[in-house]
Amino acid sequence: MREIYEISDRFIEAGDANGLLYEPLAEAPTYRRTRRYEIEFEGDKAALEAFVRKTLLDEISQELHSGEEPALDGFSFALDYGMKPGALDLEKEAILNYHRGIPEPGFELKELRIRQRIYLFGGKGDESDRFVRDLCNAAIHQWNVLPGHV
Amino acid sequence: MEDRPCALLLKFPGTNCDAETARALEAVGFVTEVLPVSALKPEKLVGVSLVVLSGGFSYGDYVMSGRIASLVTEQKIGATLQDFRDNGGYLLGICNGFQILTQLDLLPSGSLVENASGRFQCQWVKLRKLAPDSPFLAQLPEEFELPIAHAEGRLVTKTPEEAEAYVKGGAAALVYADDVNGSFGRIAGLQDESGRVFGLMPHPERFLRKRDHYDPDWTGPEEGEWGSGYWLFRSLYQAIVEADSDS
Repeated sequence: MREIYEISDRFIEAGDANGLLYEPLAEAPTYRRTRRYEIEFEGDKAALEAFVRKTLLDEISQELHSGEEPALDGFSFALDYGMKPGALDLEKEAILNYHRGIPEPGFELKELRIRQRIYLFGGKGDESDRFVRDLCNAAIHQWNVLPGHV
Repeated sequence: MEDRPCALLLKFPGTNCDAETARALEAVGFVTEVLPVSALKPEKLVGVSLVVLSGGFSYGDYVMSGRIASLVTEQKIGATLQDFRDNGGYLLGICNGFQILTQLDLLPSGSLVENASGRFQCQWVKLRKLAPDSPFLAQLPEEFELPIAHAEGRLVTKTPEEAEAYVKGGAAALVYADDVNGSFGRIAGLQDESGRVFGLMPHPERFLRKRDHYDPDWTGPEEGEWGSGYWLFRSLYQAIVEADSDS
């Protein structure tokens, strides 16, 4: 079975996206960052969600969204990126190690895929090439661009 | 047998202020053991008066700062730290240690998130103490300076009113004199109801001596060669020695 969780921050305002680039754009979009977890598992879905809430979510400062639909709307485009399969992902290893240490987790974690998602708002439209160039490293990252969701 | 109080400094992968913090604890009189979390067991807290979680980037701040460290601590020793506190023990969390203590629910509900500036901030700040009776702050003046160095030091609560209640009710033992990072209520440090658990974002271990201040001509409100950080650790040492002699 496969579940997708996306976690957004409640208190962090949209920032100037030029701060992500080596060369500023004339008409800079703003951006917000979320984290997206794609989980392959076998077992109790309720136990998985409890694990996600305890391990990956901060109930005070964040919100949990389930499913494929983007957590935010009104964006010009969004960029997902994360480690390639086979590249060492220390965050994933830390989460998997913690899961392995739980005596009876209620589910088996078959695969965990972690993605940072950057939502871009405003600007001149799809300038995703610039962000891919400056944020992603082809040696270690995989990425994809989501079209606008206005 | 050693009659000085014992401090246990817990070190996680990514903790990087343990040496300075151990030096500060030793300077005021504690016998200090730096313990890697891999060796942590409940029995390690026997005979210990103070547990310290120092600054750094435990587990690379993965997921969010302090999260993995708090989960691993809980996995290894369960509620031992809560029992330790309930039995009279003291807990101090500095910077990343503060973030871990909030995640462990040892402090009033709150979370330390990205600074309002969106940047890592490394600077000296002026602080104001709101809990003059705190064992961690008793020997410090009303206002003093310490350095901060954090990206995720903005204390937020579910509602801003909750933070205001901390300021009015004394849980916010320490506040910034200015709006440094967007913390609700300008909160820089929190204490629990017992007063024996205290977390703060500034780094007292980096201002042990007056000569550690960025301004070479700075004299400060304290007498002698010691800086504000020393007096924080010294206050705590004094409180523990007095508590031990009363018991």
